Amino acid sequence: MTTQLTDFSKRTEKYRNKSRTSENARSFFIFIFSVIILIYVLAPVGWLVSSSLQSEAEIVSVPPHWIPEEPTLKNFDAIFFQEFKDVTYETRRKVDPAAGGYIPSTAKDLIPSMWNSFIISVSVVILNLVVGIPAAYAMAKIRFWGRQASVYTILTTRVIPDIALVVPFFLVIKNLGLLDNVLSLIITYLAVTVPFTVFILVSYFESLPDELDKAARVDGCSRFQTMINVFLPLALPSLVAVTLFAFLTSWNEFLLALMFTQTIASQTLPIVVASFTSDFTISFSFINAAGVVAIVPPVILAIFFERYIVSGLTAGAVKG
Amino acid sequence: MARILFDNVTKYYGSVKAVDSLNLEIKDKEFLVLLGPSGCGKTTTLNMIAGLEELSEGDIYFDEEIVNFMPPHIRDVAMVFQSYALYPHKNVYENIAFGLRMRKYNKSEIDGRVRDAAERLHIEHLLDRFPSQLSGGQRQRVALGRAMVRQPSVFLMDEPLSNLDAALRISMRAEIKQLHHSMQTTFVYVTHDQAEALTLADRIVVMKDGVVQQIGTPDEIYEKPTNLFVASFLGNPPINLLEGKLAVEDGKAFFTKGNFLMEFPGDVITKLSSHAGKSVTLGIRPEDVNEKGEAATGTVVSGTVNTVLPMGSEQYLSMTIEGTEVFFRLGKELKHKDGDHISLDVNRNRLHIFDKETGESLIWG
Repeated sequence: MTTQLTDFSKRTEKYRNKSRTSENARSFFIFIFSVIILIYVLAPVGWLVSSSLQSEAEIVSVPPHWIPEEPTLKNFDAIFFQEFKDVTYETRRKVDPAAGGYIPSTAKDLIPSMWNSFIISVSVVILNLVVGIPAAYAMAKIRFWGRQASVYTILTTRVIPDIALVVPFFLVIKNLGLLDNVLSLIITYLAVTVPFTVFILVSYFESLPDELDKAARVDGCSRFQTMINVFLPLALPSLVAVTLFAFLTSWNEFLLALMFTQTIASQTLPIVVASFTSDFTISFSFINAAGVVAIVPPVILAIFFERYIVSGLTAGAVKG
Repeated sequence: MARILFDNVTKYYGSVKAVDSLNLEIKDKEFLVLLGPSGCGKTTTLNMIAGLEELSEGDIYFDEEIVNFMPPHIRDVAMVFQSYALYPHKNVYENIAFGLRMRKYNKSEIDGRVRDAAERLHIEHLLDRFPSQLSGGQRQRVALGRAMVRQPSVFLMDEPLSNLDAALRISMRAEIKQLHHSMQTTFVYVTHDQAEALTLADRIVVMKDGVVQQIGTPDEIYEKPTNLFVASFLGNPPINLLEGKLAVEDGKAFFTKGNFLMEFPGDVITKLSSHAGKSVTLGIRPEDVNEKGEAATGTVVSGTVNTVLPMGSEQYLSMTIEGTEVFFRLGKELKHKDGDHISLDVNRNRLHIFDKETGESLIWG
């Protein structure tokens, strides 16, 4: 009996140690992989931020300086404060691009384009919510003829790549007389983002019990009040997810913006930043500074909504 | 405050008939229980009263008014759900107050009513908590409170006790009954639990496949079931059923199955005589027997005890009659062992007999 007990305790000890070792090894590997993925994701952003603080000469130095040796705010100064200098074929040699003094001719458009991007993104977010929430609530909780069909139709539109839609979109926008107007981008971005918004919200609303809907209606809510008083507060994480998605999509979109905009009346940030490369020469430092400016609003948004993001993005996935 | 009338109401889901030409009058201040297995249309019926489901055909009246297309928030009804359906983002106080807020009651009125309801349900100390911090029984009370404060003219309950444990369920039954007495309003209660129905109801509506099987007081439903389904749905353990033939000879009516013979009492012979020779099903409730020493043919069931199942306060005996296993309920003072041969005297005034084909009761139909 005693020997048996010792055997047991030895075995317990063995398993305890074994599990501890494997637990440690597991944590270690998970840590290593996390670091690798983190570097993979963050390195470009790190280089963007670092190089925005470097002079043109330092950027092109080999090996690259991850930490600027002579950090400078000249690039940002150029974006926000420097007077526009007309660069022509004749004058381009007067300022040496390598010295960082070179400023693209479209630099003055950067801040106005950022404003355009902001207006467009915010409008798209608001309209997405205005259209997407009632649509998703109806599809999730109201039984009507063609409900399934409408869910699938909306989803199907996302199967088509944007490039295939450029020509039809262009014709529509042209006939509406909206070329080179921010409205053209608001309209087309809605077409791209609303299906995703509806899809995420439908699956979230569907995961909320029907009885909750019934309880609210018996308690004295109309359908609309039920949506506002009961479903919206509960769907907050999903709403944050779709808000971010719509904002980022609109903020980053390039192809459609390139097609429909011509002047700074409607050009968005990606278009203007891209135009920096199409001048006589390329100023990496300036482009990178512009890049840093461009990621500030989305980053602020993400930090602000951070605690909702994870639960929101997985919310739809729980019930697929 | 409200009488509810179903006038030939039918409800389709696609091509499925969930409720089939329902005619039912629910009296003012009545406690009516809709009883049936799942999928029998009882919840659909309840939802139609609430206005949560539209009807396909027929009319529903509240008192004299047709309410077919009146949305739920206009109808003066309150509802308690099986899953409680509390608002997860609101605390108990706000859950209970929500219906009053939507109806634009003033603040002091709301506060008074919420605290009064909370006191009656013994949940005053929980008002600041959120539903996720409550036990099942507490959530059930909050759900009751939410329905109570509005003092609705119709109180609807959809299996409100199904998610509670057995002990709590019995004490909540008593509370719901008291609630009905004190609120003096019409209650419609859906359940698949026959014990709940028998305890609570003024009248029971037994449903199956969207069709009403029988409407009556609990005693009527239990003692005079009009068909085989009602007889077998109520009772625990369920009624014993034997298939055989009905014989009428010399002014006496018998049920026969092989060597087994059961004679019916004189007062039902007139009802049975026209069915002589038919294939029938005999029903004997497990409790309708008494111990008897001698074996007189036609009034007793006798045989060998297969198993004795002691239940604490009583015991069940199983025996086999002509190839069919039957259960009888007896007092625990009787000492029987497996394998004993016994005879049990049948209370023949409580025998049930059903047409084998239609399932209709030949006595109560």
